[in-house]
Amino acid sequence: MANLTFKEPMQQANTVRVRVRFMGDLRAVVESRDLNVSLPQGSSVGDLLGALAGRYGDPFAKWLFTESGELHHYILIFVNGENIQDTGGVSTGLAGQEDQVEVIMLPMFEGG
Amino acid sequence: MATEWIQTSCGMCYVGCGVRVQMEDGIALGIEGDPNHPQNRGNMCAKGKAGLMNLYNPYRVKAPLKRTNPEKGLHVDPGWQEISWAEALDTVGSKLQAIRDNPKQLYIQGWEITGDSHLWLHAFASAFGTPHYSSNGSPTCGKVIHPVEFFAAGGFHQQPDLHYCNYCILVGTQFAIAARASFNHILRDMADARARGMKLVVVDPIGGFAGSKADQWVPIRPGTDTAFALSMLHVLLNELGIYDAEFLKHKSNAPYLVGPKGLYARDPASGKPMVFDAADQKTKVYDDPTLKDPAIIGASEAGRPSFELLKEHVAKYSPEKTEEITTIPAATLRQIAKEFGAAASIGATTVIDGVELPYRPACVDWAKGPQGHKHGFHQCWPLKLLNIVMGAVSVPGGILSTGAAGKKPFQWFPEGGTDGLLEKGGNILPLPHPKAFPGRTPTKPVRNDLAEIFPLAPHFHTLLPLTAEDHERYGLDYGLEVMLHTPTNSLLGSFGDLKVVERFYRSIPFIAGFAVEINETNLFDDIILPFPSYLERFDFNAGTSSRQLGPCGQDDWFWQVRQPVVELAPGLRHPQEVIMELARRVGILDDFYRLINHTFRLKEPYALQPGRRYGATEVIDRTARCWFGEEHDLKWFQEHGVIRYEKDVEEAYIGPFLQARLPIYLEHFLQRGAELKEVIGQMGLDWDFSDYTPLSEWLPCPSYDAVKKGEYEFIAVHYKLPYVYGSFGNDNPLINELCERNPYAYGVLVNADVAKAKGFADGEEVWLESPVRKVKVKLKLTQCIHPEVVGIAGHFGHWSPGMPIARGKGVNFNSLLPTDLEHIDKISTALDHCVEVRLYK
Ligand code: SF4
Repeated sequence: MANLTFKEPMQQANTVRVRVRFMGDLRAVVESRDLNVSLPQGSSVGDLLGALAGRYGDPFAKWLFTESGELHHYILIFVNGENIQDTGGVSTGLAGQEDQVEVIMLPMFEGG
Repeated sequence: MATEWIQTSCGMCYVGCGVRVQMEDGIALGIEGDPNHPQNRGNMCAKGKAGLMNLYNPYRVKAPLKRTNPEKGLHVDPGWQEISWAEALDTVGSKLQAIRDNPKQLYIQGWEITGDSHLWLHAFASAFGTPHYSSNGSPTCGKVIHPVEFFAAGGFHQQPDLHYCNYCILVGTQFAIAARASFNHILRDMADARARGMKLVVVDPIGGFAGSKADQWVPIRPGTDTAFALSMLHVLLNELGIYDAEFLKHKSNAPYLVGPKGLYARDPASGKPMVFDAADQKTKVYDDPTLKDPAIIGASEAGRPSFELLKEHVAKYSPEKTEEITTIPAATLRQIAKEFGAAASIGATTVIDGVELPYRPACVDWAKGPQGHKHGFHQCWPLKLLNIVMGAVSVPGGILSTGAAGKKPFQWFPEGGTDGLLEKGGNILPLPHPKAFPGRTPTKPVRNDLAEIFPLAPHFHTLLPLTAEDHERYGLDYGLEVMLHTPTNSLLGSFGDLKVVERFYRSIPFIAGFAVEINETNLFDDIILPFPSYLERFDFNAGTSSRQLGPCGQDDWFWQVRQPVVELAPGLRHPQEVIMELARRVGILDDFYRLINHTFRLKEPYALQPGRRYGATEVIDRTARCWFGEEHDLKWFQEHGVIRYEKDVEEAYIGPFLQARLPIYLEHFLQRGAELKEVIGQMGLDWDFSDYTPLSEWLPCPSYDAVKKGEYEFIAVHYKLPYVYGSFGNDNPLINELCERNPYAYGVLVNADVAKAKGFADGEEVWLESPVRKVKVKLKLTQCIHPEVVGIAGHFGHWSPGMPIARGKGVNFNSLLPTDLEHIDKISTALDHCVEVRLYK
């Protein structure tokens, strides 16, 4: 499992630790199933995604966000099992001791 | 002997009609349509009536098999050996485990739409971490209709409103006569509509089942639908001046001002598209609250309204010029346009359940035919535009959108997004849908199906055989290592040229497939897992009718759960349980549960719990109770079959309630095209960008050019038979008998006058040769086909020993199709389905 710490190494007390799991199409670009991330206290899902986009660059960022910076409709994110659509979207806070964030890119249902 | 009737759902095609099966001593003796089922109202088709033959097919696979011959090929005997489930699952599990760290090497062909498998495999693919999941069976069908429908109407597919329509034009579809979703429901609606005087015009190279029922059959040269539609638009907008100006001003992007580079003129502060308000002669953003009368014709300093550009653009397609392309006489096109425009009754309203609604009793419907072309997207899009400019979308009498909105058991409704345009189509399941707006930003491909360089496409599997030939050419550093597939015969039905397809299947080192009988795809399997008949299965998704393709208008919304009528044969397992067991073996079961919970909206206390094991019926029972309340458990569905809710006007006719504009101008095609050029430049590929245009242009298919140059004489096209579905259909003895008794089914249609001039007789065997294949065919001469066209029906041409009834009969149309980038639509990934051929003795 890869580890990711942002900016200067931070004091444990000032950080939240997040375990990110990638599922669906994103696994193909991330090349890793899980990632441990340390973020400043008070960070949100949006902050996490920004940090991930910074780390992985393209195509990850383009798979995640539209040109206008919105999350694509096929990206699904759970924080500790709760879909962020039910908890405030990307502004959902990462406040737990050991937050589990799943970032999933679902394949489209195609038909035909 | 006691006779018992068991209610369940037909699974002989994707529709899912309600049926009653007559049982005696555990033996199924007969099938009838359920008269109380809103899907089919007691009707059944020949395929459904023949279903018992599939259940009792002596050639069914009833135990796992492994291949003993490592050599693979179209006609190579795999040397099957029966094995235990333990060995089969161990083998498949270990192959999956071996690619666990690089899961994108897994390809799942998940198209099995009669039951739960496709959604369960969808969840499996996501939990495993592969992007290579395909729930699309055909190389053409669905490639344009779904993405267009989601951004131009709000649902999954379209349906003419046969309850109120007075003038219906079918282009390349046998809607409600020989094909389409909710088949047995819409058949009756079509008959009623024709009886009350609705005029039916069928524009199709073949005057088949639909043509024979039409008031007017208009033969068209294949691959020229764009020109037909643009010319119709020209006559309506420029010659007759018929369009729904009020609708276009307030409910479409017709007033958005377009600058000299084809992009919207945008407000510098907000970035929003601008319009010109004729009421106070001011330029404003499209959603300015003071906006009264957005201009759709004329020009302002900021730019010209997109509608003005459309009018000017279509003027290039006069009926006279178009006749040269389509062969439709200019007078005929004008007559149809005039009648269509008059029937649309612009400005009329009607009142339904006390609600006043626009009334536009005229529409154009299209489906498989126009999609299957090199420029498939633009063959279809202007056909949709005909409905949009008439304001005939999602209103009584017009074109309706399936599955777009509902209020029970959940609320779902399409929503606007980017630039105020419809962006988020409605979907009862919280799954992403394949819309073409605003599209994705192209990047260099990681995927073997090159999804990244088809930023507006919904489907990508047609690219897999091409990249398998040369990964490096596309910058890919890996190939597919493992394939799992449903019983669908994708080798024969999902691609084209068999030589290319054979190389593709041979390139995948390990393939495991479900099988009902051993079809041509299974001949490449390393492990076969037996798949139950629909009469032995439990499925929460009993076909697609409830979820995405139910009858439109005010017919009841419903849900049915499929139950078995006979015990699962020894040696068979429920597919859901096989998928869960594989997920457990590769350590993704909890992730899989999370995705199933999401897919089926399972909340506490119904959600599947990590660490627990479930049977198929337990999951279905939980889902039924979660959706419909504790009292509506699986047992309730087994007793009652179907649950139904009335739809209100807002669910049935969503148009007036939609808080979003529909597109007539595709600005984002320019943006995605420009981004793609950059990526393709970096990749060093030759690419055709001609379809990245905001207004459609007719461009010829290779077959059109080949015939024009005199290299070939005919264009071959495919058409559907109402009694054959999928590439397994005619292995059923009753369906085969229908095909044999009907000289059109296994024969190849050719125009009688043309055939006689060439010295061909009815029933004669001749060679049919395309650029990639030569086959012996039996001719059926008919007046009901365009003189330049050869018509091939159904999904035939089987050779698998596991399909002894179907073997050696009819022609496999797809195998005639050149399969290369040149024949793939650069917008939708559809494989060109019109192919140049010659006939000779
Ligand atoms: S339309 Fe399809 S589901 Fe309905 S009876 Fe025919 S085969 Fe069965």
